[in-house]
Amino acid sequence: MTPDTTAPAASPVSPGRRSARTPVLVLGRVGMVLLNRAVLLAVLLALVFGTVELLPGDAATATSERGESAADLAERRELLGLDRPVLERFWDWMTGLPTGDLGTSARGEKVTDLLSSAFPNTLLLGGIALLLTALVSLALGCWAALRPGGRLDRAVSGTATAVLALPEFVVAVALVLVLSLWTGWLPAVTLTGADGSPASWDMLVLPALALTIPQAGWNIRIVRAALADEARAPHVETAVLDGLPPHRVLTHHVLPGALPAIAAGLATSTGMLLGGAVVVETIFNYPGIGSVLASAVSDRDSPVIAGVTALSGAVITGVLLLADLVRDLVTGVRR
Amino acid sequence: MDLTRRQLLWAGGAIGAGVMLTACGGGDEEPTGSATGGSAKPRKGGTLRVGALGRAGAITRDPHGSQANESDYLIISLLYDTLTVPGRKPNTEPRLAASWKPSEDLKTWRFTLAKGAKFHDGTPVTAEDVVFSLKRLRATPSGASRLPGIQAKNITAEGTDTVVVVSDYANAELPLLVRLTTFVIPKGTTDKDIAKAPGTGPFKLDWFRGGNARLVRNKDWYGGEVHLDAIEVKIFESPQAMASALLAGQIDLASNVGAVAARTAESRKDIQAVRRPNDMAMPIVLRTADGPFADAKVREALRLAVDREAMVKQVLSGYGTVANDVLGTGDPAYDKSLPQRTRDLAKAKQLLKEAKFDTSKTYELYTTEDISGLAESATLFATQVREAGVKVKVVKQESATFWDKTWLKGDLYTTYWGTNDSVVFFASKTMVSDSGQNEAGWKNDDFDAAYEKAIGTSDASERTQLLKELQKIEYDSSGYLLWGMADGIDLAGAKVRGLPTLPGYGRVQLEGAWLAS
Repeated sequence: MTPDTTAPAASPVSPGRRSARTPVLVLGRVGMVLLNRAVLLAVLLALVFGTVELLPGDAATATSERGESAADLAERRELLGLDRPVLERFWDWMTGLPTGDLGTSARGEKVTDLLSSAFPNTLLLGGIALLLTALVSLALGCWAALRPGGRLDRAVSGTATAVLALPEFVVAVALVLVLSLWTGWLPAVTLTGADGSPASWDMLVLPALALTIPQAGWNIRIVRAALADEARAPHVETAVLDGLPPHRVLTHHVLPGALPAIAAGLATSTGMLLGGAVVVETIFNYPGIGSVLASAVSDRDSPVIAGVTALSGAVITGVLLLADLVRDLVTGVRR
Repeated sequence: MDLTRRQLLWAGGAIGAGVMLTACGGGDEEPTGSATGGSAKPRKGGTLRVGALGRAGAITRDPHGSQANESDYLIISLLYDTLTVPGRKPNTEPRLAASWKPSEDLKTWRFTLAKGAKFHDGTPVTAEDVVFSLKRLRATPSGASRLPGIQAKNITAEGTDTVVVVSDYANAELPLLVRLTTFVIPKGTTDKDIAKAPGTGPFKLDWFRGGNARLVRNKDWYGGEVHLDAIEVKIFESPQAMASALLAGQIDLASNVGAVAARTAESRKDIQAVRRPNDMAMPIVLRTADGPFADAKVREALRLAVDREAMVKQVLSGYGTVANDVLGTGDPAYDKSLPQRTRDLAKAKQLLKEAKFDTSKTYELYTTEDISGLAESATLFATQVREAGVKVKVVKQESATFWDKTWLKGDLYTTYWGTNDSVVFFASKTMVSDSGQNEAGWKNDDFDAAYEKAIGTSDASERTQLLKELQKIEYDSSGYLLWGMADGIDLAGAKVRGLPTLPGYGRVQLEGAWLAS
């Protein structure tokens, strides 16, 4: 990245933070942010336990069979520990968390077992989709930005807007129809192998595309807008007047300044990708956390719901932190 | 938020499946022989890939546990054997118990174990193992309902091959009641090792992961020759995804995939639809104990106001049969001679008038989306009875809310039963005055007396006669409006043979299945 002498027009970093660039201080800041996020996550988990408590029915009624008497239900409740106050159950669950113990499901399976292959599978799918989203939106966004207002720019921006309005399930159903059932090119659903992951790599293609397409639509718009903003900056004008070729102006003068906004856009997409995964996983029968979560909610299975929340929360926190660091780094270098 | 999204998803999936199937029509291969019929000699070998419904968060490995997933239950029933299994006629057939005999008073039952039955590790099965398993089952919270009337202390071994079970009351149906749940594991299996417990079933476990499993043939099975080399069970959260997998050739059998998939697959000649009649009852419950439907005339009026043919055609896509308000339609003892109720709006209106039924009010009919077609049945019912002057508003409840707040309590709601065991089963569970799941709050002394007499009678023809009397009372005045019975529907690839046609959990009996070359 070429250092630039001109200050960005609107810097998100306040002057007071400029000193926080020594490694120790950066680490300290990251630590503070992490602590902050951990507290937030704990509050969220408490909310999960509290909300499940408020829903009608509980894990004992949800897992019982018809014909169980009140005494049978009471026994089940005791077995599941539901006779104890919610605060106590929450505390028990939280104290197990640092040791990696996520508790036991209402049907007696270890939550870590339920999530041990499901969570990595969702991460893999989400990761591929995020990477694809980043590549596609950067490539198309930049391409469109080379000729602002040109035919290509209008086509890309128009398509992006149309695509971002499509719900994942519409995209998913269309993909199965065209790329699998009509043409037979790709498997329609994901089948799981003995190791708990998809039985072959080509089963990942359709779910990843179904997640990428709407998110790419969103991010192309962001990339395009960020580039347009940055293109109005004085240093870019200077570069253009210097007679540099358009692609060089784009990669060396416009893109660096636009990166924080692009990174923030992609970071927001992480949450959307994890949320969309729940829908997409169902359609493609992908063995991820989506179906674990759906059944856990209908079973009022607090340990499982909290386990999924804790892991996804940790991932989203991590990605957001990374985006913040990118922003600090970029703006820092540019100073 | 999740709910609406899910509903949309299902709707989208259903439309999608429809488009897909229509688009994929035009396969030209006519299968020789069929999934359920044909006299060809079974071919040995091959792996059958079966899709079954289940949700990842609800997975359980315990044969005596709380099994909500069809996939888990399928795996368990292929690995472990129960004492008896469902049959067509008679409806109870031997499995791990080769034979059984009651005492004169029908309280003490002796089950003799099949000769040569061995666990997958080679150890012979003894009566002690069975006693251990039954007691373990009895000790679960569901134990009292899975082994009704049987206390743990009344389960004993007699020698190495006989198990003696003493019921608290005379019970001619005990062998039927032990069909679906009495899985046998080795004596002394701890809860920690339950997933590793060897079974005695037609297949052995190769691997299990996240609700999916591969099972291989048990060549030493005492129950007969198993044709398939292996069965792979794949867990599916939605029937739409399962139908897609079958259409794309990724699985060979979509178990219990439902009418929507079957109807749209009709155009595909390389797909076989297996219909298993009398699979699911979705009656409407009219509270008899109190409330607006307590008058038997009002209930009769509603039974005459419903258009049963239209219900079967629209709610079940035609995959079902008209029923006659008596539960247990698959039972050989089911009384087919009762006059079939048909729609008679004039008589319905007259009955409502005689009962002084308040037709100015709007009555709420509670339903859920637990199974496909249930909410639709409520909506169509509401439309139909309006023509008799009864205003019904359908209220959809989330599943857990329904079971907690409405079930057993509401005046008017839909229910469903996937175990269509027998006339006596429903009588004992849902209609006898003190039954635990008396859904309509029905109390009828004549019915109770008829029930007591029937289950205490060992002579078959005498018993059939008594059951007829019981069904007549049920037909006349119970709180059920049973408009039809849904077929169970499986879809299979062209080469699959020897599939079961029994309703309910009879669908898991895949030991006779084979693949044509």
